[in-house]
Amino acid sequence: MLGLNFKTIYAIAKKEFLDNIRSKWIILISIIFIILTILSAYVSSGSSDEIFGGFESTVVTLMSIYTILIPIISILLGFSTIAGEAEAGALSVVLSYPVKRVEVLLGKYLGLGSVLAVTPIIGFGFSGIIIAAVIGFEEGLAFIAFIALAIVFGLMYLSLIICFSAAARNRVRAIAAGVGLFFWAMIFGVIVMAIYIGTGGDIVDLMSGQATYPEWLFGSIIFSPGDLNQMAVMRAFGLNQAMGIQIEAPDWMNMPFLLVVQLLWIIIPLILAYFFFKRRDI
Amino acid sequence: MIKKTVGCPKCKTHIDIQGNPGETKIITCPKCDTKGKYIFPGEKTKIETPSDSFSIEIENLTKKFKDLTAVNNVSFKVRKGEIFGFLGPNGAGKTTTIKAILGLIHTNSGYIRINGYDIKEQGVKARGSVGYLPERVAFYPNLTPLQTMNFFCELWGVDKSVAKPLIKEVGLEDAMNRKVGNFSKGMVQLLGVAQVMIGKPPVYILDEPMGGLDARWVKTIREKIKKLNEEGATVLFSSHILSEVENICDRVAIINKGKLIAEDTIENLNKYLKIKPRLEISIPGLNGKVPEAVKAVEGVEKVDAENDVLHVICESSSRIKVIKVLEEIGLKIENIKTIEPSLEEAFVKLISTDDGGA
Repeated sequence: MLGLNFKTIYAIAKKEFLDNIRSKWIILISIIFIILTILSAYVSSGSSDEIFGGFESTVVTLMSIYTILIPIISILLGFSTIAGEAEAGALSVVLSYPVKRVEVLLGKYLGLGSVLAVTPIIGFGFSGIIIAAVIGFEEGLAFIAFIALAIVFGLMYLSLIICFSAAARNRVRAIAAGVGLFFWAMIFGVIVMAIYIGTGGDIVDLMSGQATYPEWLFGSIIFSPGDLNQMAVMRAFGLNQAMGIQIEAPDWMNMPFLLVVQLLWIIIPLILAYFFFKRRDI
Repeated sequence: MIKKTVGCPKCKTHIDIQGNPGETKIITCPKCDTKGKYIFPGEKTKIETPSDSFSIEIENLTKKFKDLTAVNNVSFKVRKGEIFGFLGPNGAGKTTTIKAILGLIHTNSGYIRINGYDIKEQGVKARGSVGYLPERVAFYPNLTPLQTMNFFCELWGVDKSVAKPLIKEVGLEDAMNRKVGNFSKGMVQLLGVAQVMIGKPPVYILDEPMGGLDARWVKTIREKIKKLNEEGATVLFSSHILSEVENICDRVAIINKGKLIAEDTIENLNKYLKIKPRLEISIPGLNGKVPEAVKAVEGVEKVDAENDVLHVICESSSRIKVIKVLEEIGLKIENIKTIEPSLEEAFVKLISTDDGGA
């Protein structure tokens, strides 16, 4: 297919995995995930007799934390992969071998994506087993879906940061672009709300459930990987509340739609990354 | 007939010119009267048929970085089985040329073939016959040398069993399981030398391979290069250590300010540049005094004295006359040595001539 050498892709993916899995950041964040998940489960039990709350309430508590931590892992893993290696000289050795740039890019993405997947699988998975042992496996499948969606969330950011790394002249510019992306995600909701108020919407009515969300407000989340992913998690658990606010999403914003848009957030930046990488002088 | 638009270096006016391949055209700017010359590219604007005699063929290679022309219309060929030295001062365009040969950078014009494969059209096949050691080599900090070599074995598609012997060959066996991130610059360079030999390619491109290494490893690498060449490989290597190039190269190319200013054997370069051999004559009791009679000998270019040694640069035909004159004035000659011109002398002369110096 496309004349790709899958052995080359596999070799590069394996190398990326081995080189990055030992990163102290990855180990640290995995431990943080374990602690936070167990703490979230404990906090969400509220005044009930159980030590831990259910998976659903645990995930609701976790959502705001993982939307910060997962992009940080992706940015740390990906910012240097092209700009940094080109700057240091490692990439010129790899590209002097009989390989295609598209194979190197795909190998890097798969390798770094595997490292990225390890964090939620270990972090959430390990604590999920502990929680399930205490409260049972009810909603366990939705929790597995949540882990999968956390990985998809990380893959979206990884795609974006690799694109920045391919386009940036050096690693400093690549990390600066990553930080910019992170803050954009943080303020996106505020911008959308500002537009809502600016066009005559009443935020108080919206929060109190007296006004319904206009469809364009839901549509706007396709521009925000974080919001898209949170909506998918809510769909997985059948939730219609976030941070105490009633949210009735339109029918068209179903799981397949959300998954397709997230897939596009993975594919389009990767295509752009290839475009920049192919034209780059190493 | 070739049509070309050139820019006046002074007022930037565009001037249309026409000429035949290889023709030198004197141009006068119609606006500011600035005079200049333009040499039309040689007859072959594309390498039509790759020759079996050459491992690397470069024609009319130009690479610009914004306003800077890093490599300017460079052409040279490296014959199969030779050790080819690529020389030039810092910033001359050596590394840019090497990166262009490997397709690591995009060029503005020119054609490059490695073992007959066009680097633009058949990049994977072309690179499949080259081992490359960059000037600033770097590997992956969290991998061990063995993991690093295994990775490159996989990229080459060769059995991983070659990795350990190569690590031992460059003397890194004691560091086999240490992380590369903890290596010194020299150790990383040695690992680079090991990786370059993985696929046993027919062509090696080594950019400053001895850089950052101590004398012991310089010797090891020099012997490795010789051995690879004896086994039939072609080696192109750039270096600023001229004595190294002189010791092992069959031919050299010298680049300065992006332009190739010479390509030949060291002997021919010296002949072409009319660099004369130097006589070292030991005369007890000379005490640093230069005999005036020697200066007057026809064909003598320069005479210096250092303690009891007289240094005379002269035509080969004048050597006997110099010795006769010394004997006539009563000086007793203890020993005579003829020092052939070095690459360094040719290099310095070429660069200074190109820079507009003496």
